[in-house]
Amino acid sequence: MDELLTNDGRPRSHAAALMEALDTLGLERLRERQQAVDLDIKAAGITFTIYSDGLNIDRAWPFDIIPRVIPGEEWDQVSAGLVQRLVALNRFIDDLYNEQRVIADGVFPADLLLDSVNYRPQCRGVHPKFGVWAHISGSDLVRDDDGELYVLEDNLRVPSGVSYVIENRAVAKRAFGELFEHQLIRPVDGYTDELKRLLTSLAPDGVANPQIAVLTPGVYNSAYFEHSFLAQRMGAELVEGADLVVEDDDCVYMRTIGGLEPVHVIYRRIDDLFLDPEAFLPDSMLGVRGLLRAWKAGNVGLANAPGAGVADDKVVYAWVPDLIRYYLNEEPKIANVPTYRTMYEEERAFVIANIGDLVVKPANESGGYGIVIGNQATRDELDRTIEAINAEPRNWVAQPILSLSTVPTLVAGGIEPRHVDLRPFILTGASSYVTPGGLTRVALPKGSLVVNSSQGGGSKDTWVVDTTADTWPRHQGWSN
Amino acid sequence: MALLSRVAGRLYWGARYIERAEDTARIIRAFHELAIDQPGPARVRWEPLATVAGTSVDLTSTEPADRDGGEEAVLHHLIADRSHPSSISSCVAAARENLRTTREVMPREAWLVLNGLSQQVDDGAATAVSRQFRDRFLGQVIGDSRQLDGVIESTMTRAHPYRMWRLGRLIERADMTTRVLGVRAASLLVVDAGVDSESGLETHLHEEVQWMGVLRSVSALQMYQRATHAAIDGAAVVRFLLFYSPFPRSVQGCIDELRTVVMALPSPQAVIAALDHSQTVLDHCDPIVSDGGALDDAMEDCQRSIAAINQAILERFVEW
Repeated sequence: MDELLTNDGRPRSHAAALMEALDTLGLERLRERQQAVDLDIKAAGITFTIYSDGLNIDRAWPFDIIPRVIPGEEWDQVSAGLVQRLVALNRFIDDLYNEQRVIADGVFPADLLLDSVNYRPQCRGVHPKFGVWAHISGSDLVRDDDGELYVLEDNLRVPSGVSYVIENRAVAKRAFGELFEHQLIRPVDGYTDELKRLLTSLAPDGVANPQIAVLTPGVYNSAYFEHSFLAQRMGAELVEGADLVVEDDDCVYMRTIGGLEPVHVIYRRIDDLFLDPEAFLPDSMLGVRGLLRAWKAGNVGLANAPGAGVADDKVVYAWVPDLIRYYLNEEPKIANVPTYRTMYEEERAFVIANIGDLVVKPANESGGYGIVIGNQATRDELDRTIEAINAEPRNWVAQPILSLSTVPTLVAGGIEPRHVDLRPFILTGASSYVTPGGLTRVALPKGSLVVNSSQGGGSKDTWVVDTTADTWPRHQGWSN
Repeated sequence: MALLSRVAGRLYWGARYIERAEDTARIIRAFHELAIDQPGPARVRWEPLATVAGTSVDLTSTEPADRDGGEEAVLHHLIADRSHPSSISSCVAAARENLRTTREVMPREAWLVLNGLSQQVDDGAATAVSRQFRDRFLGQVIGDSRQLDGVIESTMTRAHPYRMWRLGRLIERADMTTRVLGVRAASLLVVDAGVDSESGLETHLHEEVQWMGVLRSVSALQMYQRATHAAIDGAAVVRFLLFYSPFPRSVQGCIDELRTVVMALPSPQAVIAALDHSQTVLDHCDPIVSDGGALDDAMEDCQRSIAAINQAILERFVEW
């Protein structure tokens, strides 16, 4: 289905104002604006990085000028579902590293935990503030033919993309200023203030004016633009591992021109395993020796907490509805895609028998790598996938092939439908915040379902639009 | 407000690189103006220009080198050659990379200016080697570099990041002024002396014009004229560029501001000591300003003392 148009090509009501404006503008002038946008993005240096790109380490961010529009009432429900989901997942993580009630009660299988590559035994017994481990998360949503938004996966480690949500809006405002005048489009740039508030709340007790730092793997990392963007917006320091040191007092310091200065909260964008050579991979050059020690001693706040990734594995995903019921005594407010777990013999047999109609995913890869789409793969690829499943059944899950919804997109041939997904960002601390909308990624080649920017995907501004002022909240996104 | 040592280093080098690009553009522009006053090919030798920029160009491989006096080869080297780390193109790219990685401490507008310049240089450096586009290109490099400092002067908090930026600008500028003087008019603008084979006339450029070229290459001609009332004279020019501290590109002016900036940074003693030494070396230049060879040696001493300030800055603030 198309998000903005009905099957007979008429605008849906929430997109009527936009489609009318596009008609009035006409294709030629729309193209001119797209060109202006491309120049704007280049001039502002909004970039992302492709590793294999040789010298050209940062590339202009691909942006399609036609926005995706989501009705405000629908978004309020999605948003409540995401908050519920992240509260439950955080209770689950906290439980796994402490009492493990969920296992004792027979809701979650113990051997899954033992096999999990993202479980960090080093974090057993730690009680982070508010019981929250995954403070910043991004969940990928897709809309199926039935019109419903499904959660496809949760990213609880170092999800990226939020800077592009904010930059896309800034670009869209410059390109399409007149449209914002007559519509109630929920603003998105409050995110960094909310993030700063959340990070401040993670400071050790008694620290009134905490020093916040964003920890980046470095200037060549694919998400460096975002690390820099977030540090700029929050007035935080942007640090690399070598800038930090943990002293004998188990406190974290940064090397400044005036000597060592304390750091109280770290928003780390380095993977767990590279975070601290003393606790995890001993040969990591990116991390800070002793960081885990400082965190366990309560001398530094870490977001996300090490070990939070235990709940973002694609196998755990299959249990999320059960976890919501178990911890919150509520029914899920946003749907999970039905997921087959190849670790169970019965479900594995089903997957192997129906592999041509399923999407098979490795449990712990990100960026769309390793995914096999049954109806697009060759017989040979399918056979190799079955072999891999049989070799390591714990490492795979399978789902029905969802048809991703489309949004009209400006391409060489004019305006054509292209498939999209959506990644909203959720902040969880003493309370929760969801970005209004999120990052819409669009697969630019005709018929393609691969939206990742590292594989030729583009992006769109995402408008959560209210038709009456009643549903347009003054302070978007907060709930308790 | 704390400043990470790594970031301090990037700010310092970012400022040095953009200043080097700007100063190189000024020198080329001044030389270019003098060169077009010398009609006909092979009147002007361009290699000394590379010497000012601290490098040399091997003209033996460019056949036939004599036809344009090395103009194209030298200008390619100084403007567009990315394998030469001090070409304008390389300097702007390095400055951009340093600003890209210090955006959290720099005003957003500063990034926009440098990012814009970087794109212009990527697109235009190759064609700027030709006379037709050269002046406009050089003007853009100089103008954008000045705009960048305008943004910084008017929107950046006077704190340590600002100070590290100033240090980079001033060190590079002082160094460039000594280079221009060191090579002096005599070799900065060498018009083949001797007898022109066609006209039979002796070709020799008036000394005064050469000294004007020296002043132009640090954009000092007008300010020099305002400050001195006599006709242009070599010794007076040298004295102006070394000691006239009210002029911001004079070596003394740079050292004075360096001192003020460094005093506001934490524990600056070692850098102050290097500045004191530099001052002594500069004072020692006074009696010899009118002697070409001695001036050349004296400027090399100055450059060494400036390099020592650079080293003291890095050791104290960046690599401790």
